[in-house]
Amino acid sequence: MAMVYLGPFIFSVIVSFSDNKNLINQPGQIVNSGWTLRNYIYIWKDLPFATWLFNSVVITACQTVTNVFFSALAGFTFAKLEFRGKNLIFGAMLASLMIPGIILIIPKFLIINEFRMINSYPGLILPGMITVVNIFLMKQFFETMPKDLVQAALIDGCNYFQMFWKVFIPNSKPALAAVAIYTFQGTWNEFMWPLIATNTSEMFTLPVGMASLRYELLTDWPAIMAGTILVSIPTLIIFIIFQRYFVQGVASTGGKE
Amino acid sequence: MATIEIKNLQKTYPNNHYAIKGIDVSIQEGEFVVLVGPSGCGKSTLLRMIAGLEDISGGDLFFNDKLMNSVHPKDRNIAMVFQNYALYPHMTVYDNMAFGLKLKKMPKAEIYQRVTDAAKTLGLTEYIDRLPKEMSGGQRQRVAIGRAIVRQPDVFLFDEPLSNLDAKLRVQMRTEIKRLHRKLRNTMVYVTHDQIEAMAMGDKIVILKDGVVHQIDSPINLFRHPQNKFVAGFIGSPAMNFVSGEIVKEEGLYFVTQGMKISIPPPLQVSMEKYLGKSVDMGFRPEYVYDKGLEKERRLSTDVEIEILVVENVGSETYNHFRLNGMDTIYSYRSSSSNVHIPGEKLTVGIDLERLHFFDVETEKSIL
Amino acid sequence: MKRNSSTKKEQQFWAYTFLFFPLMLLAIFVFIPILFSLVISFFDWELMASQQNFLGINNFIEIFGDKIFYKAMLNTVLYTIGVVPIQTMLALFLAFVMNQKIRGRTFFRTAFYIPAVTSSVVTSIIFVAIYSKEGLLNSILGIFGFAANDWLTNPHTALISIMMLNIWTTSGYFMVSFLAGLQNIPNSLYEAAKLEGATKRQQFWHITVPMVRPVTYFVVVMSLIGCFQVFDQVFVMSDGGPNNATTTMSYYVYQNAFRYFRLGYGAATAIVLAGIIMIVTVIQKKYFPPNPY
Repeated sequence: MAMVYLGPFIFSVIVSFSDNKNLINQPGQIVNSGWTLRNYIYIWKDLPFATWLFNSVVITACQTVTNVFFSALAGFTFAKLEFRGKNLIFGAMLASLMIPGIILIIPKFLIINEFRMINSYPGLILPGMITVVNIFLMKQFFETMPKDLVQAALIDGCNYFQMFWKVFIPNSKPALAAVAIYTFQGTWNEFMWPLIATNTSEMFTLPVGMASLRYELLTDWPAIMAGTILVSIPTLIIFIIFQRYFVQGVASTGGKE
Repeated sequence: MATIEIKNLQKTYPNNHYAIKGIDVSIQEGEFVVLVGPSGCGKSTLLRMIAGLEDISGGDLFFNDKLMNSVHPKDRNIAMVFQNYALYPHMTVYDNMAFGLKLKKMPKAEIYQRVTDAAKTLGLTEYIDRLPKEMSGGQRQRVAIGRAIVRQPDVFLFDEPLSNLDAKLRVQMRTEIKRLHRKLRNTMVYVTHDQIEAMAMGDKIVILKDGVVHQIDSPINLFRHPQNKFVAGFIGSPAMNFVSGEIVKEEGLYFVTQGMKISIPPPLQVSMEKYLGKSVDMGFRPEYVYDKGLEKERRLSTDVEIEILVVENVGSETYNHFRLNGMDTIYSYRSSSSNVHIPGEKLTVGIDLERLHFFDVETEKSIL
Repeated sequence: MKRNSSTKKEQQFWAYTFLFFPLMLLAIFVFIPILFSLVISFFDWELMASQQNFLGINNFIEIFGDKIFYKAMLNTVLYTIGVVPIQTMLALFLAFVMNQKIRGRTFFRTAFYIPAVTSSVVTSIIFVAIYSKEGLLNSILGIFGFAANDWLTNPHTALISIMMLNIWTTSGYFMVSFLAGLQNIPNSLYEAAKLEGATKRQQFWHITVPMVRPVTYFVVVMSLIGCFQVFDQVFVMSDGGPNNATTTMSYYVYQNAFRYFRLGYGAATAIVLAGIIMIVTVIQKKYFPPNPY
């Protein structure tokens, strides 16, 4: 069973190191194939792969950092502060979760276009800086922390930002990690938005760039496979290191209903 | 050090629900005051209003004659110890105690001095670098108290600090807090739902129910002279027995109920006169019921025939539960452990006439 | 109320400060677009035009006569009906197996989960290779004597091929959800069942399945929403072809808006799709509630 899930990756690793351009069509030839790093060197040097990687890194880093910060801040506010309009705002957020994302695409495009941000970093980054689901996750987490902690911090002389930053943040590493990894993975793999919001190769992210290669390199499967492996490595590393938090995150969203 | 003056304090929630309905309490400098009452009585709300953690909807709060209503909690010079300790989980014992002082930008050397002193007082010196999760409940509560001490506050506030501890530790911490009070001589306000804890600790006890003060008094006065039926039933364990009956006049005034006829003690004769022919509630504590066959010295009531239902022998004494003939209510009577009864045993007892309480049926106030 | 409260005001101040930037972003990229999409759908929206041409409900009328739209809808429904139940059952089955005390549990869990954390573009490209005429799948099937099939260019198999890919990628993800649900079932329930003589199979059907029902609900909802909006795989693997055999509604929205630049028509299509998804989830909530007990 595990073979079914891992097999395709193993297959693509093997192809990516092969010097036989036809290996994809003759899997039986694996034994006779020569091995080489040439495919990796090729996509790195002769294709804008490094540019796409840079774009992906910049966008993912910016979105992950800001998303985690704002989700935590908003989650903390909804969990621990009382203010006028809280239920209304929260209800609106809850309702927005019911709206399928597909209807946002066109208006988002027009808005970003209006800001003259198509094909720019801000246009790629801004829409992903906050995610309602992450706010919910953080809110749920902060709700499990005792209210007395708020009061103890108040008596100790914290203002609410100090309370958030010095008391609550240091104690929410598992939740922050889950949200961070989620956002990282989602942004790194995001396809539709960068596809729509970019129009020149030097602004592509890795997934968009890879997708653009699928016709250009139709005959050079080893090079494409090398690309897919390079794209997957960062998520794989992060996933394996932080597996625990990943699983916790999925588990806590699963328990929400 | 501070005096606290609470004047007609009120707390209303947006749904017009009154949590505190106009409370007056004055607390002297260095006094240990306990707020006690059943859950939902408003005791924690009152404490949080003193701390500044809950807004005051009406009335005034003074510390040393200074109006505190809209002063920020951190500027009230108070310290608070919480039920679940509320220690910062990511900080060591030292940092937990030092946090508030650091925020005040106190010089490092002074912080160090205060924290190590407090740790020494509380026997925490060897745990100073530990995290809260590496400590037992009792130790954590000590850290929470330490965090209060280092602030050198005018007022210490305790919000059910012992209710998460097991019974034995609770008794031990009780004495420790009392000892601390004797040493520091600060004003302390202590909230608990446990009347025994209240009696054991308080110089003065405020009994609250449904947002209203029912009595403010010393422990002994609460026990001896409860002002109403609620206080009478709340203080004392096992609780006071109540029985309804009627006042009749023969050669003197008598309280009569099924199978019981008790002469009203002379000091009460006058005030009971106006209840003649009316029904009143009588209360008597289990401690003041005596086996007629054994007790000869006290002035006891006329014979009361009872049948023992259940016997609880706790070692030092025995609680016997019984019914008065024909009535459903179960009463209790405390006997010494040397006088052991068995269920089903029929017995003649008498009630100490000096220790009777009578209550108006409508107002539930004590008839004095 | 004579004096106004310090703590309440203070909390209010901080709360609004904290929420200002997050809410502004949400307004610009979520709340306003939701309403804006309704507006767009009533226009023949031109990207460069200074004034837009109002069409009323003509876009919606056009949808109901659009053969490709019906094809896209049919494809999407087939896709969803094919993927959701298999994916859910497979995920529950995997979770049930993984919850037993087997060796190398972490390894297996990671293996099942990797497709889900990998970029959809990457998995799609790998599967293009696997599905190609002389690719891995045909080679393996050839061993058992099956004739080679060009999976993605054959209109009869293209959609099914993409469905298989989706089941492969997301079943591992939902397995983790189920696994968490399974671990929340108190062991004493199984012990009680054992005392009453329940077999493993009976335990599965009478304890596990009802107890994970809230998770099942969640998984089905997420899976439904995902399937109805499938896009990446279609874009990479088939571009909607051959002959619209794999055109899904999301893909059709994209095509209209960003290939033909019919933004108004695209928005109208998106609204119809969103409407269908919301109706389906409401029906599901009504007839298959997360927790009926």
